Amino acid sequence: MFGLLEGAGFTQVRSTVVPGFGFRKESTRDAAEAYGVKAVLFTAQKPAT
Amino acid sequence: MTDVAPLLADEQAPLEGVIKGEVLRMYQEVAEYPEREFHFYHGRQAAEMFGYEPEWLDRAPPGAVASFAGVGNPHLRSRLQAGEVVLDLGSGAGLDSIIAGWQVGPTGRVIGVDLNPTMCRKAEAHAAASGMRMACHEGRMEDIPLPDVSVDVVISNGVINLSFRKRTVIRELFRVLKPGGRLSITDIVSAKQLSQSIVNDPKLWAS
Repeated sequence: MFGLLEGAGFTQVRSTVVPGFGFRKESTRDAAEAYGVKAVLFTAQKPAT
Repeated sequence: MTDVAPLLADEQAPLEGVIKGEVLRMYQEVAEYPEREFHFYHGRQAAEMFGYEPEWLDRAPPGAVASFAGVGNPHLRSRLQAGEVVLDLGSGAGLDSIIAGWQVGPTGRVIGVDLNPTMCRKAEAHAAASGMRMACHEGRMEDIPLPDVSVDVVISNGVINLSFRKRTVIRELFRVLKPGGRLSITDIVSAKQLSQSIVNDPKLWAS
């Protein structure tokens, strides 16, 4: 996502992992862990000119 | 999640249709039956986990809170100002739109976009019940039904990961934002390429 934002022309791209995110069901939680699934907060700006 | 569309768009077009149907079904189920259990946390419990202010959750219509299905808190970094025009991409039952509406005030405007017209009407009703006006447009995030350079801020919560065409979605966000506009979005990403069995499973993709 970070790369997609920069590639589209956004600047000041920032990301922070969302603490506390997780899946309720154990099977989904295990699969998510295996794939390194995280929730992330992204911020970015479109250039002013 | 990675953007798999450029390599596999033709092959996956039928699957994309199935997944769109599953996304519609799952999030409508969250809205209609919030008491049920899902793969993900939802409702007030999830909102509290992500740091939504209790005052917001007390003040918003219970239906909007109960159907909340976000993955984080885009308001933490949105820095919304009075008078701004906000796009809530994938507005669902409307909780994030309502919170944004309180921040931009009566001189600002919140526009929702959602794949599901039923959810749009629900979000508008929740917004009206909380004393604000919100217009929600049925539409796809890959083809946002708004003019170029028409919004100051985009917020979104757990929606872009549902698209097979993330690059297109991001380009659309860039298109609708005004110069100097900004976005604050929370979403799910994976460190590893998802296996084809997961990509091919509409229920897993939708959740």
